[in-house]
Amino acid sequence: MQPPARSDLWAEYRGDAAKLFPLALGVGVLGLITLGIYRFWGKARIRRHVWGKLRVGDDALEFTGTGLEMFLGFLMAVVMLAVYLAVVQLILFSVGIRFVFDPQNEMEELAQAVSILLSFVAVLPLMIFAAYRSRRYKLARTRFRGIRFGMEKAASGYVVRALGYLVLTVLTLGLLWPLMTFRLEAYMTGRTWYGGARFRQGGSWTGLYPAYLHVIWGMVLIGLAVLVGIGGSPGVATFLVVAGTIWGLIGLVVYRVRAFAYLMSHKEMEGGLGFWATPRVGAVIWTYVKGALIVALLGGIASGVIFAPVASLAVGIEEASELVQLEFAVLGVVAYLLLLTVFGALSLVFISQPILAHFVNSVMVTGAEALDSVRQRVADGGADAEGLADALDMGGAF
Amino acid sequence: MLPAPEDAIWFDGISARRQPVVVEVSPDLAALRFGGQVWPVARLRRIDGDGLVLAQLVDGGDELPHDPARLLLAEGALAAWVRARAPQLERRDLRRGTGAKIAGRVALAAAALGLILFVFLPRISDLLADQLPMEQEVAFGQAVMGQIESFLGEDRALTCTAPEGVAALEKMERRLTEGQGLTYDIELRVFDHEMLNAFAAPGGQVVILRGLLDEAQSAEEVAGVLAHEIGHVEARDPTRLAFRSAGSAGIIALVLGDVTGGTVIGLLGDHMLSASYTREAEAAADAFAFDLLQRTGIGTEGLATFFERIAGMGMEVPEILATHPDSGNRAEAARRAAGAAAAPVLTDAEWQALRRICG
Repeated sequence: MQPPARSDLWAEYRGDAAKLFPLALGVGVLGLITLGIYRFWGKARIRRHVWGKLRVGDDALEFTGTGLEMFLGFLMAVVMLAVYLAVVQLILFSVGIRFVFDPQNEMEELAQAVSILLSFVAVLPLMIFAAYRSRRYKLARTRFRGIRFGMEKAASGYVVRALGYLVLTVLTLGLLWPLMTFRLEAYMTGRTWYGGARFRQGGSWTGLYPAYLHVIWGMVLIGLAVLVGIGGSPGVATFLVVAGTIWGLIGLVVYRVRAFAYLMSHKEMEGGLGFWATPRVGAVIWTYVKGALIVALLGGIASGVIFAPVASLAVGIEEASELVQLEFAVLGVVAYLLLLTVFGALSLVFISQPILAHFVNSVMVTGAEALDSVRQRVADGGADAEGLADALDMGGAF
Repeated sequence: MLPAPEDAIWFDGISARRQPVVVEVSPDLAALRFGGQVWPVARLRRIDGDGLVLAQLVDGGDELPHDPARLLLAEGALAAWVRARAPQLERRDLRRGTGAKIAGRVALAAAALGLILFVFLPRISDLLADQLPMEQEVAFGQAVMGQIESFLGEDRALTCTAPEGVAALEKMERRLTEGQGLTYDIELRVFDHEMLNAFAAPGGQVVILRGLLDEAQSAEEVAGVLAHEIGHVEARDPTRLAFRSAGSAGIIALVLGDVTGGTVIGLLGDHMLSASYTREAEAAADAFAFDLLQRTGIGTEGLATFFERIAGMGMEVPEILATHPDSGNRAEAARRAAGAAAAPVLTDAEWQALRRICG
């Protein structure tokens, strides 16, 4: 890696657990009290906080989205989804009962599985659409040095491409996954703007294969297991399957990290600004394991604190009146939801945030003098915010 | 106490250039001045971030009514002065008319969902149900029946098979269906279950639960209930109901977050049991039953008696009474329909055999 030149800037994440945890827990509890309505405002507050901790050089990002627009977007999306899902469900049902209720039993089960798969497939295009819209919304509401980011309205094209590449990936048993990763990322990057400056994804899809190598090894082992199994040594085959699965799963983590590094390092912005990313697989895995241990430990303590008083009330509950028993049941549910909230806040603070920090801190921005000539872009109304993603319940950590 | 001018960074909201400026407080203490800009203190708003990040309230602006320009002050005397003096630094402004906008959107969403659930879905599901070919409807009905049987019997076979009882049931079935020009091939059976109920599944399956036989005082009462259920079958009510629940299950799945809809089919059996047809469908089934009972010479007296007795019991309401709080009126209506009994449905021995069909 070359030493930083004068015009190079390090990206840096300065968030700490002590600041984020009270915020995350607070918005979680408010969400509980308001039966989930507050979650949009909570998300906006958490993003404002996290974006403000993410710096490039001396300047922080800013999140300008509001809970209100996310809430209104969610309302719109729920209505659209209701129509879509009701119709899809009905059509699938009316087609489905022609084969689901076939007299033969095995056929019936198979057909049933197919119809359930189909109803998932019916939602898949929406989820892909929502993923693009969500990224566009986040970019449109992100500022750096007072200048807006933005992404073009091109979610439909993204859905078509994503479905096409998905089919290719499935048909090639996953071998063409890097093609899908690269082309989709290039599609989005090529439509991303910082003010009046456009981004571009360099590199090529074959460049992702070194990152994908371990997944391929895992698949090769499983393929071998099939051959050995046919050859008649079930013991060896089982061993190979287990080994291949573990290898493949770790390979997936390796792929995620290295693909990020490759794709980030080959992005550039008009005017000669580029990136250099060097995240480390070991650090990511260790951060995750460490975070999970902390969450388990603190979550365990929290569950003791929450449930001990509840349990002490439970003494003699059998003799109590029905009303008291009902109250107790409600109390139990509330305690359980509260515990879930605590776990959510803990994993955000001790898993998601440190992993984000590792990725951010591994990025260097080169040719930053290009920033000085970037001009503002017009605001993006983004009427539905990321309502569709919210309605499909597919938001990431942040 | 006026703070001294301080170095700060200004982003003008037009270019991404970092602009070092010197910020000073205006002599009248009402504004910050720097690089030709004048920012009134009353309009200052704080943005999340390290140090003190300031934006100006403006009328148009972004998502929040803020100007895109930002002023970054390091924590120090000037920042402290601004925090103390800017009255609405932490205020989160809303544009005018936001309340009305929220109310409008919420009302719109509620109205749209209501329209979908209560108007659009019933129409489209009726349409689809009517297009289902009959042999598929029959196959579907058998599957639903299987569901209900395993649901009620916890995987024990429930159909009662005592030979004399089955013979009596078949006799009743012939009396009700033969020569009546029914669209469906009606298939009757009795489930060994203590619930007082009878129901119809799509495609001609009609089931009596043993509880109903225990409660009924004559074969004519049972025949009356059966005539009502046959009315549902002929009107395809169970099929429509199944389609409606499949559609609304999609929405329920959305609310519950189960977008795969895998629970839909499993729920259907349950829906059939507690079938709540519309008032119109019930009335039509009643009318069908009165007519059928009259034509077959069974008479409506049995059904009327049954209505009266069940209504007085105040127990868990079977489907046949579910959407009719006013069973007394139905009994009257049945009597007014006035089909006199020409010949008994079953002999006394056959009626006793039917009551013992479950052994």
